[in-house]
Amino acid sequence: MTLRALALLPLLIASAWAQTLQQAESFRSAARYQEASTAFRVLVAANPKNPEYRVRWGRLFLERFNKEEAANLFQEALEIKKDYAPALLGLALVAADGFDTRAVELAEKALAADPKLTEAHELMARLALEDSNPKRAVEQADKALAISPKALDAMAVRASVDWLADKADSPWMDRILDINPKYGEAYADVGHFFVLNRRYEEGIKYYRKAIELDPRLWAARAQLGVNLMRLGEEVEAKRHLELCYENGHRDAATVNTLRLMDSYKNFLTYKTDNTIVKLHKKEAELLHPYVESELKRAIATFEKKYKVKLDRPVQVEVYPDHEDFAVRTMGMPGLGALGVTFGYVVAMDSPSGRKPGSFHWASTLWHELSHVFVLSATHHRVPRWFTEGLAVHEETAVSPEWGDRLDPQVISAIKNKKLLPVAELDRGFIRPSYPNQVVVSYFQAGRICDYIAEHWGFGKLLAMMDDFSRSEPTAQVIEKELGIKPEEFDKRFLAKLEAQTKGVIDGFDDWRKKLKQVSDLAKAGKHDEVIPLALAIRDVYPDYVEAGSAYEFLADAYAAKKNNTAAIEELERFARAGGRSPVVLKRLATMLEEAGRKRDASAALERLNYIAPNDDELHRRLGGLWLGEGNTAGAIREYTAVLAMKPMDLAASHFNLAKAYRQGKQITEAKDQLLLALEAAPGFRPAQKMLLELSP
Amino acid sequence: MACSTGATVPSANVERVFPDKPLAASVTGYVNFGKRALAAFFGLAIALAGGPALHAATYYVTVGGLGGEPEFETRFSNWAKEVDKLVKAAPESKVETFEGGAATRANLRASLEKIAKDSTPADALVLLLLGHGTFDGLDYKMNLPGPDITADELASLLGKVRARQLVVNTTSSSGGAISTLRRDGRVIVSATKSGTEKNATVFARYWIEALRDPAADTDKNETVSALEAFRYAEQKTAQFYETQKRLSTEHAVLEDTGKGEGVKAPSPENGYGLVASTFPLLRLGAAAKAAANPAKQKLLATREDLEQQIDRLKYQKAATPAEEYRKKLGVLLLDLARVQEELDK
Ligand SMILES: [Zn+2]
Repeated sequence: MTLRALALLPLLIASAWAQTLQQAESFRSAARYQEASTAFRVLVAANPKNPEYRVRWGRLFLERFNKEEAANLFQEALEIKKDYAPALLGLALVAADGFDTRAVELAEKALAADPKLTEAHELMARLALEDSNPKRAVEQADKALAISPKALDAMAVRASVDWLADKADSPWMDRILDINPKYGEAYADVGHFFVLNRRYEEGIKYYRKAIELDPRLWAARAQLGVNLMRLGEEVEAKRHLELCYENGHRDAATVNTLRLMDSYKNFLTYKTDNTIVKLHKKEAELLHPYVESELKRAIATFEKKYKVKLDRPVQVEVYPDHEDFAVRTMGMPGLGALGVTFGYVVAMDSPSGRKPGSFHWASTLWHELSHVFVLSATHHRVPRWFTEGLAVHEETAVSPEWGDRLDPQVISAIKNKKLLPVAELDRGFIRPSYPNQVVVSYFQAGRICDYIAEHWGFGKLLAMMDDFSRSEPTAQVIEKELGIKPEEFDKRFLAKLEAQTKGVIDGFDDWRKKLKQVSDLAKAGKHDEVIPLALAIRDVYPDYVEAGSAYEFLADAYAAKKNNTAAIEELERFARAGGRSPVVLKRLATMLEEAGRKRDASAALERLNYIAPNDDELHRRLGGLWLGEGNTAGAIREYTAVLAMKPMDLAASHFNLAKAYRQGKQITEAKDQLLLALEAAPGFRPAQKMLLELSP
Repeated sequence: MACSTGATVPSANVERVFPDKPLAASVTGYVNFGKRALAAFFGLAIALAGGPALHAATYYVTVGGLGGEPEFETRFSNWAKEVDKLVKAAPESKVETFEGGAATRANLRASLEKIAKDSTPADALVLLLLGHGTFDGLDYKMNLPGPDITADELASLLGKVRARQLVVNTTSSSGGAISTLRRDGRVIVSATKSGTEKNATVFARYWIEALRDPAADTDKNETVSALEAFRYAEQKTAQFYETQKRLSTEHAVLEDTGKGEGVKAPSPENGYGLVASTFPLLRLGAAAKAAANPAKQKLLATREDLEQQIDRLKYQKAATPAEEYRKKLGVLLLDLARVQEELDK
């Protein structure tokens, strides 16, 4: 409000010019936005009861990336005139811009108020296609065309539907260009849908055509830049985005992507024959060996498993600052928050950007890598549920301890029968209708792929992938490959899932109540009472490995009773159930060490390399254990990691690495490390002794 | 700058001349005071942590105060007991620890008054305050059972003690006491930089860890200096907030200039840390044994000379070609190791 009220008075005085709607609109079409806005301001001030001026002004704001101000104006118009269709449409457009489910509802309301509102049908068509519902999209587009045969955006939707289905002989774009040969927006619309379907290269092709027709189509050019950037084409991306910026097109995507590019000066790039790893300077040295070796392991595994050979290196970018990562994913609906894949480019959060224990980076890396393979194998023609489901399936296929656990949101969704039929599962990702539906959909898709792999064999998933590459719809693919109707599949899958989760679903409320009792008993130090109660609920919900789990309470109680064997057993259960807390896993390692089980201790700690590697103590301990076990290469890697973290105790850190090199008979390297240790602390006796031993 | 560290043991030879170049910490790649080099640079005669005066005692007075809540009280009291155990194990330590009901103002006064009588300038006093402190904008108070003790009162008690002093105030609002407690030659470590940082601190936990963890002795001279312990605890505290993704509610500082507000990262550039680097907080081994044997005087002199050469070389690192530096350093370090081997025989 303040924005608009500003300087209103002097403007009213000087309102001799630009007070007709035509003038305002002509400023707008000439991209003289300031003047257009001023004109609208004067118009609205002079005609406070006119809803149309407000809506038009709102549309200008919407066009200029100010959704809040636009929504305010639409609301005001609705206050002046109830159910004013253009205002409802405006609100629908605002909602659509944020992939908000209310968009459809609002567009329907607008149509109820004015069935002849072409643009509302066009919007409905667009929303339907965003929801991967081409049939409905065509219906709505045709309704728009029935009202107005020259509805160009409706035709663009029809062209998109055809091209997304790889129908080459679509007449629609020709018709559009016959009417308006400079209508680049049509190609931009098509590009939008291809990008939403993660078909970035084709999306880019259409955005290029859009700006070819109309070089001043900044929104399309910005999208071209953003998507080039996603595919790692930074130089060209930057050129387009800077051009947009210089021409006043400063939407969030443009500004943030440029800012992100600027931050790349703080990143280091490591290349091998099939990998490119980009890491922030402050953690590059530490993370590089871990990320690169895991990336290579995943590539080798998937090349075999998916029978696909990648034709170029995979680029993985790791962002310690979640904001930078967020810029990478902008404009994409319902994305998982941790990683994202664009063709051969993977962007993900760094473990340092999150609370230790809350993020399994290696699991995320494998998940994204699966996308790279699936997208490459299907040429990006794959429904969202399938690629996500397979990726989630892979997380636990690497190790049963990886992957996300069954969480209370999912339990509640299963209990309340909120899972979607497989043929409609994509909706749960793109336009969720309840708060946690995206999370629930990831889980469901993952379990569907588990189920298919288990009952029909992994080969069927590959066959399905092949069908999807030919754009066959889910329902058809299910029937063809699994030999049952999708409805039957849903029935069997749900029966299986419900059987698997029955214990926790039925017992959840009781479990929660008793866990609270366990916690109270533990606080009161009543170990003898904690043990039976915690044992009774532990296996009701074995996936619960967050803070205050039954495992931890049991381990505490056993330890208090000096029964370390039982305490260790509980903590091992915790680890096997997917527990990720660095504190708990380190405690397990300590207890194992005390029990003389060094090998198990190092295995417990090694888990943390995949979860919270930004921890010098972890690497120091693991290095020591591995050195003792004779795993020299492992010890060298761990002690090198300690040094990469710029530890306080430089002398001892170099000395440790020297010990590992010496054990590996790398005497030159060992001596180098000794000199570094002694440079930091010239009187360091153990280092002096070893130096003498290694010097002739 | 006057020589006012309270040290009476003159260092053997501080007349060394160093190349005229700025004391940039970066030349060694890490921040580390070459003690002797610094002493020479500042033209000071100071007692060195590695070679303390014989028979000098270290007085440790530890107070675990009131916590407000039982949970905190137990924590402060446990910390105090742990410190008690750790410092009692150190050679030449005289330990008094007050926790629980015994942590009264009267007991603390009596203890410091007695130390004022007994100690000499060759001794050292480490006063460690664990607990809850308040600052009302003018006065700092540490909460104790019965009457609290104020910063003014502590300053006047400490003023009568002739031993070198380190005051480690880990309480909340401890920063509010810095300006009252600071004095030439006294090292002050404060868990918070100002009196307005009122939350319970985690700094104390890491300070105590520094007494336990050999890693705190970064120069490996078997003595944890006040500066080493401060750096250890300060970094671990910062790491704690960083990894927990929590906004830091405490910013530890060290003040040993007698006139400053204290800094987070003492260095030759900002002039902090010089006194603290030579203050032996805790001796881990029998580092000074050799000094007693006259037969080894010559070897000791050689060692001293080699150490000086190494310090000098390190300060010239930036200006020395890498290969040449490495070679020279290697030769010196090997010589030093040989001399040490002889000494240890
Ligand atoms: Zn995914």
